[in-house]
Amino acid sequence: MGYAASEPGTTAVAPALAIKILIAGGFGVGKTTMVGTISEIRPLHTEELLSERGVGVDDLSGVESKTTTTVALDFGRITIRDGLWLYLFGTPGQDRFWFMWDELALGALGAVVLADTRRLQDCFPAVDYFEQRGIPFVVGVNCFDGARRYDPAKVRRALGLSGTTPIVLCDVRRRESVKEVLTTLVTYAVKGLQPAERA
Amino acid sequence: MTGEDPGPLIRLFGLTGGRARPQGETFDLVAIVSTAAGSHEFAELLPEHRAVLALCRRPTPVADVAAHLRLPLNITRVILADLRREGLVTISRPRPAAQTIDERIYREVLHGLRSL
Repeated sequence: MGYAASEPGTTAVAPALAIKILIAGGFGVGKTTMVGTISEIRPLHTEELLSERGVGVDDLSGVESKTTTTVALDFGRITIRDGLWLYLFGTPGQDRFWFMWDELALGALGAVVLADTRRLQDCFPAVDYFEQRGIPFVVGVNCFDGARRYDPAKVRRALGLSGTTPIVLCDVRRRESVKEVLTTLVTYAVKGLQPAERA
Repeated sequence: MTGEDPGPLIRLFGLTGGRARPQGETFDLVAIVSTAAGSHEFAELLPEHRAVLALCRRPTPVADVAAHLRLPLNITRVILADLRREGLVTISRPRPAAQTIDERIYREVLHGLRSL
């Protein structure tokens, strides 16, 4: 299955492919809203049941004395064509679910780190995470109503970002804006395929 | 799913035999699941299993299967691994992005996003 003949001269193999993009950032920064704005399906919210073993070194003491815990995971979908889908996964905000990020990030095209300029520090962990693993990411500065426009250069300095990491001012409630963030990410990620320095 | 009613949890337990982890080779949240040829005549299967086999006649990512079943992803994965063990579905192997996403795919994705 899945081996449809296409143009002669090509490898003629087009298996179905689903690509992951991660949406990260601090709690309440608009991750779920962003997924919902662009997803063709209502964002799916699943609560994952995790065994204690899965939680690893997490400190559950004093939280609740139960052997499973749950982590909320939101995801949405964009169909590019038959057999090619883009999945947007809102990453769990809590640090204790880092192990889950590892799975989400495996094979991901890249990530959007959403930032709220009133609490930029909330997205430090996500920036560190993607930098350390060499996963391409863009920073989307979510500009809420009435929030003054921020100078991307200041955000770059505050987050200690390299000169090439794109920073996009966005409004995650607006479809065009979310499209711009995602196309910026894909454009940036594809540059990483052929390493070329740009100013 | 996590409300006061224990019903759903008991049902989940029944679906997976209480197992939290899928058996066999691991697979990704967006691995592609395909129903194996000739595996649709198993009346004794659980409704969830039959639903998977019907859905995945068209290759479908794991995350979508979970959405379709309205079950948590990891419960869905236990079910899928069971079906795989029985030879009823195939699940694509995990591959690093560099191997799966080539320049042509990037261009397709870009084009698709722009024309949304």
